[in-house]
Amino acid sequence: MIDERIKQDLIQIVGQQNYTDNLIDMVSYSYDASEHRARPSCAVWVENTAQVSEVMKLANREKIPVTPRGAGTGLSGLSVPAHAGIVMDLTRMNRILELRIEDRLAVVQPGLIYADLEKALAPHGFFFPPDPSSGKVCTMGGTVGTNAGGVKGAKYGTTRDYVLGLEVVLADGRVMRTGGKTIKNVSGYDLTRLMVASEGTLGIVTEIALKINPKPTVTTTAMATFNDLEDAGRAVAEVMRSGILPSVLEILGRETILAINQNTDLNLPEVEALLLAETDGYTKEETDFQMDKVAEVFRRNNPGMVKLAASQGEAADLWKARKSAYAVLARIKTHFVLEDVTVPIGKVPALLKGIQAIAKKHDIQIATFGHAGDGNLHPQILYDGYDPEQVKKMEAASDELFKLAISLEGTLTGEHGIGLSKAAYMTLEHDAVSLDMMRTIKRAFDPNNILNPGKMALDAA
Amino acid sequence: MEAKYDFERKYREQILLCSRCGFCQAVCPVYGATLRPGLNARGKMLLLKEVMDGRIDLSDELIETLFQCTTCASCTHNCPSGVPVPEIIKAARKDMVAIGSCHPAFKGMNEVLKKHTNIYAEDEAEDFGRQKKPAAKYVFFAGCVGLYRENDATEAALAVLDKLNVDYTLIEEVCCAGVLEDVGFALNDALVQTNIDRILATGAEAVITGCPYCARTLNNKMQYAPLRAKGVIIMHIAQFLKDYDLGVHTDKKVTYHDPCDLGRHCGIYEEPRQTIRKLAPNFVELAHHHADALCCGAGGGVRGAYAKNSIDMARRRLKEVEEIGAEVVLTECNSCVHNLGNAKLRKQKFTICTTTQFIHDLMEETD
Amino acid sequence: MEFESYNMPDELYYEPNHYWVRPEGDLLVMGMDDFARKLAGQIVFVQLPEEGKLLKQGKKFASVESGKWLGKVYAPVNGEIAAANEELETNPGLINQDCYGVGWMYKIKPDDMAEVQSLLHGTEAVQKWLVEEIAKFAKGA
Repeated sequence: MIDERIKQDLIQIVGQQNYTDNLIDMVSYSYDASEHRARPSCAVWVENTAQVSEVMKLANREKIPVTPRGAGTGLSGLSVPAHAGIVMDLTRMNRILELRIEDRLAVVQPGLIYADLEKALAPHGFFFPPDPSSGKVCTMGGTVGTNAGGVKGAKYGTTRDYVLGLEVVLADGRVMRTGGKTIKNVSGYDLTRLMVASEGTLGIVTEIALKINPKPTVTTTAMATFNDLEDAGRAVAEVMRSGILPSVLEILGRETILAINQNTDLNLPEVEALLLAETDGYTKEETDFQMDKVAEVFRRNNPGMVKLAASQGEAADLWKARKSAYAVLARIKTHFVLEDVTVPIGKVPALLKGIQAIAKKHDIQIATFGHAGDGNLHPQILYDGYDPEQVKKMEAASDELFKLAISLEGTLTGEHGIGLSKAAYMTLEHDAVSLDMMRTIKRAFDPNNILNPGKMALDAA
Repeated sequence: MEAKYDFERKYREQILLCSRCGFCQAVCPVYGATLRPGLNARGKMLLLKEVMDGRIDLSDELIETLFQCTTCASCTHNCPSGVPVPEIIKAARKDMVAIGSCHPAFKGMNEVLKKHTNIYAEDEAEDFGRQKKPAAKYVFFAGCVGLYRENDATEAALAVLDKLNVDYTLIEEVCCAGVLEDVGFALNDALVQTNIDRILATGAEAVITGCPYCARTLNNKMQYAPLRAKGVIIMHIAQFLKDYDLGVHTDKKVTYHDPCDLGRHCGIYEEPRQTIRKLAPNFVELAHHHADALCCGAGGGVRGAYAKNSIDMARRRLKEVEEIGAEVVLTECNSCVHNLGNAKLRKQKFTICTTTQFIHDLMEETD
Repeated sequence: MEFESYNMPDELYYEPNHYWVRPEGDLLVMGMDDFARKLAGQIVFVQLPEEGKLLKQGKKFASVESGKWLGKVYAPVNGEIAAANEELETNPGLINQDCYGVGWMYKIKPDDMAEVQSLLHGTEAVQKWLVEEIAKFAKGA
């Protein structure tokens, strides 16, 4: 329970109606979309930078942990208040402050929902390319905190490629601005880039200046089936040699396909792997030309079939399949863990085969899908969380999965972040010196370790 | 571990289906109006999971969220795992009532319906100046909102039926009592029996109602089985009118708000539109329509228990009307009309009414 | 005066459905009294008629609602609406907050200011009325 005096101080800052320690709120704020849980002492809804600053001053003075939170859809426990304290809910700071098409600029508040940004950009023929699957609910503060990816990553990059500047409140309440509003800026240290993907451990982002792109108006979609995982993996790698960057290159593994067929009427061919590709541009000639090159690569790698979507409707159906993967898999067992290990694109075949082997070895179900085009796969481990044997198997399988990715020159996480889920594996990927530097930076920004403590293995040694 | 509560016995598997993705935040009207995750569908499932795991217990502290759900099923419709949230909530409410943790507004409603014929405890029902016939082909059932809050809408519906020479009669109706089961209680048998008796006494082959909620109650609740067993068909007036040529037209820009009880809960989306398209060629859909329609905020008892939030939810829906520049919003539920009507700001110049009201008004114009 | 926990200011005139009236220059200000406010609960909707709407004494001209309760507002005198409290459109809770001050509801231009005298006024009369009302609502609803 929070100290009465501190409670009153918080109420002074945000107002009675923006403070809560009600059970129903505390339970809600204990979770995000991962399997982690930890209850906070209280929560505040903040409405502006000044309030964020005052809360941090108080928290820093009293050494109370603060966990910032948007929509709470993170998959690694980033917004789970591991050390209790205050949850700072930023969803009420949800406006677009500026939209300047000529400057390719949108300045937004952290609580703005991704879908609302898209909605505002669409009439201008613009879009924000990194499009996380949780876009209907996730907030921009969260996408910055994790450097969110999305299906367009292979061609368009990720969130960090689009953040021009930030307003950040530090652990001690001081407010700083990083970067600016220009497309290019090399003035001073790139604190903007440091903040992106820092998972709320270095500061609280209260304003984001984003670069936006004109949106291509035409797309061509195609699907290819493979009876051998390695063929599929090779096809993905070879697309890079075709000279074409497809806007989307996704993969669905056999387990995933079966689950989709069981839960929808999409009737996908039940093969080892399915690749879904999209090319974009401004004329059909352009997108078809690009897709022909991609299809050629598919055909050279023993596909079962290669099919170009002949209409918008057909394309939509193919997309439905990919978009439903996470959901249908979630229904199979009581629990699941969704990983996002990433490897160099050429290593995708080895990763796919390796995942299959791990599943077999530990006798546990792992369904794979993901952004093959940038080497970022999503193996989803399905298990009965109430069965201790299965939990052990899941943990063993996860462990091997991370080791496999690292052994293939890969990383533990391509877009979901480390949070709590992968903290124990940081030493696998990062050498002692870099970990030491990360902790040094953390100490410089947050000497009292109150900002989202317990995450990213920053606390250890 | 033996289940402590009924909701767990009935719905444990379904509650465990919730994978905490949080996608329901995009569509839950209570969350949309309050931005408070504890009130969102996911928040409710997390709480019930903790109850099932023995970490917390049902108590008064949970009233604010368990009794603040319009049961609109937008969450279920959008849930990747298909969690049937409204059904789970209704079951949990029963357990809450059983341990004495009930929202005072609903406890009050249960008491009111023991002593009165309607949820508002009103004593005088309008008779709309029409004699109750001893026998007729149809019974028109207005529902409590239609009798005591939106009398004009009911009068209009009756006038339209008169114009079409439909052989119908009103009865001395009492509350269908359906709402009681949604808020943790049980249907009031006396009220149910009264309605069944009075409907059957007329020999009517069908009941036409202006209230989708009454339609659902009479159609689905086992307490009304004796009525259905006698072959009586229950339909909403939108279903009744769809094939009629009403002979009226308007050039106004008209839109339609799908009531949760008629749309998502009954799958009735096209019949109202069939009628509207005939009379309003300038018909446009709202941004969220059919199964994606935004809830007006009145249902599940929320208008009675959390009226301020209920109005806020209605305001969010009305914003969508503004966005498409509609001059008229039609709907098929008196509760929606009432809540949206209360929420409408004076600067918003569009009108909100039932389709039959609109038809009636057009008929009057041409007379 | 304070009576049985109800605050009913002496200088006001009371319409029997529990609305107060106060002369202000050549207008009358009207609002809900403490008794009705307590009975109604959180007000969520106040009907605000347009300026110029004609009022006939004793006839309903607006309605007020809380969650499930609907109250009819009757004209205390003959006249017309001079103004309605616009704040109540988005903040009807002002009535609960301060029913005699910022929660005022309507301003009326009376045909004849003297008609105000037909309303309940004065400590004795108001108290007697309150006693009856308390009894009436105690056994009702």
